[in-house]
Amino acid sequence: MSYDDVEIEDMEWNEELQAYTYPCPCGDLFQITKDELRIGEEIARCPSCSLYITVIYNIEDFLDNKSKEKLEPSKQQPVAVA
Amino acid sequence: MVAPLMEETEKGKSALINNAKPKIEEEEEEQQVVKVWSWGAGTDGQLGTGRLHDELSPQLLNLSSLSSVSMLACGGAHVLALTSPSSVIGGKVFSWGRGSSGQLGHGEMVDALYPKPVTFFDGHRYTITHISAGWNHSGFVSDSGCLFTCGDGTFGQLGHGDYRSHSSPVKVSSFVNKNVHQIACGMRHSLVLLKDCLGNQVYGFGSGKRGQLGVSKDRIRSVSLPQVTIGLHDIEIVGISANGDRSAALSAEGHLYTWGRGFNSTSDVNCPQSLPSSLSFSQAALGWNHVLVLTGDGEVLMLGGSHHGMLSDPERVSSTRPLSVALEKVSNLDGVKVIQIAAGAEHSAVVTGKFHWVRLFIISYTPFFPPFFINVIAENRAIMTWGWGEHGQLGLGNTCDQIHPKVVNLGDEFQNRDTQLEVFCGSGFTYAISRHCLPSQT
Repeated sequence: MSYDDVEIEDMEWNEELQAYTYPCPCGDLFQITKDELRIGEEIARCPSCSLYITVIYNIEDFLDNKSKEKLEPSKQQPVAVA
Repeated sequence: MVAPLMEETEKGKSALINNAKPKIEEEEEEQQVVKVWSWGAGTDGQLGTGRLHDELSPQLLNLSSLSSVSMLACGGAHVLALTSPSSVIGGKVFSWGRGSSGQLGHGEMVDALYPKPVTFFDGHRYTITHISAGWNHSGFVSDSGCLFTCGDGTFGQLGHGDYRSHSSPVKVSSFVNKNVHQIACGMRHSLVLLKDCLGNQVYGFGSGKRGQLGVSKDRIRSVSLPQVTIGLHDIEIVGISANGDRSAALSAEGHLYTWGRGFNSTSDVNCPQSLPSSLSFSQAALGWNHVLVLTGDGEVLMLGGSHHGMLSDPERVSSTRPLSVALEKVSNLDGVKVIQIAAGAEHSAVVTGKFHWVRLFIISYTPFFPPFFINVIAENRAIMTWGWGEHGQLGLGNTCDQIHPKVVNLGDEFQNRDTQLEVFCGSGFTYAISRHCLPSQT
């Protein structure tokens, strides 16, 4: 069973790993590459343990390179609080 | 991350004892023998063993830097240690484990296999009294009430008004004229508790997507400057805790308030909500998906732990009992008084004081009284763990999950009342400290 469902915008792009990552409770990172996303893979695995998460994303965003910009989730948008 | 909230009941009125409380008074006259063990996930050096692999059983660490440790804070894959102010290497901060985001505060973004001093505080003559380790960031509070943060700042969790990361501690300017008491670092957010500031005591910053900041009734993506947590006015908060996407605060009356991601797939909570219970809690510890609370009577209850201890067994998880959002008593702890609780991401640990009666015979030397006996209470201290065990974080010598608490074999007996045990949990690893007071030699 999937440990969690995580939206792609909550994952961080890791330059070194060339993958989208999300914290795993073991201390390592769940990882999924752009190539995997492009072929419709929705499971991000942790290299250190048996756990995996389900990534929620729109596959069309990954089929076209032009839309790449809006996919970078690590750019945080500060939101003003009233 | 996992700085449990602690308080101690005293004449019905509770007073804060942070887990972090430096044990100053004990150091002055008595000599202590401190032992430190670690076990669990170790691939980032977080176990301090000098090795980069998991340990399934407690490893006794022979590190002089930890000989006078007063408090540990365990994060995603790094550890902060505070030494007792009165010791020879007193009032110092050490850190080790994963340092790739600057969370070790050494001025560089590299891992450390052994405890290494955070020299920033020595250079600036700050004495640190409280520490917290998040997923990839760290927080330090000085005796003068200043707050410092370092590590991953991508979500604004360092509180400096931007989204930059720092590899050395940086003072949080929002609190310059305030008296900071505690910091609690979660996965992507931080909480701060101020001293002597009833009404506006608790602040949050960093990611707020799951409501974990509690600063607005509306959904907030993130804030990079500290904002007051709403809904805690007129409540005296004595301890705060953050882990995963959740936050908690314990009041002087023993009520627990939680906010952030909902437990057991319930909806997220944007403002602090009191846990519906008539019980009064003395400690609370947050995991990623569960919270442990300790009552004044030494009883442990858990909320949200429906999958606790069955993560490695997919079939069991899917056919688990109906999800409950009520506090449930932790079984297998009958007749055991729990003294301290701690929570990792998906595992739990407690220090128990198991009381048993010992009969003492008293021989009287006065002619009128025959020999007689009295019953006294003796106490056996132990550490018990349960939950997810895939990395050995339960310290039971295997990688099995446990639904019920099991005793960890530290290789020592703790029958002596003068020996104190403490347990600390990181995401996938665990530390234990024993302090044995030697009789003063004069």
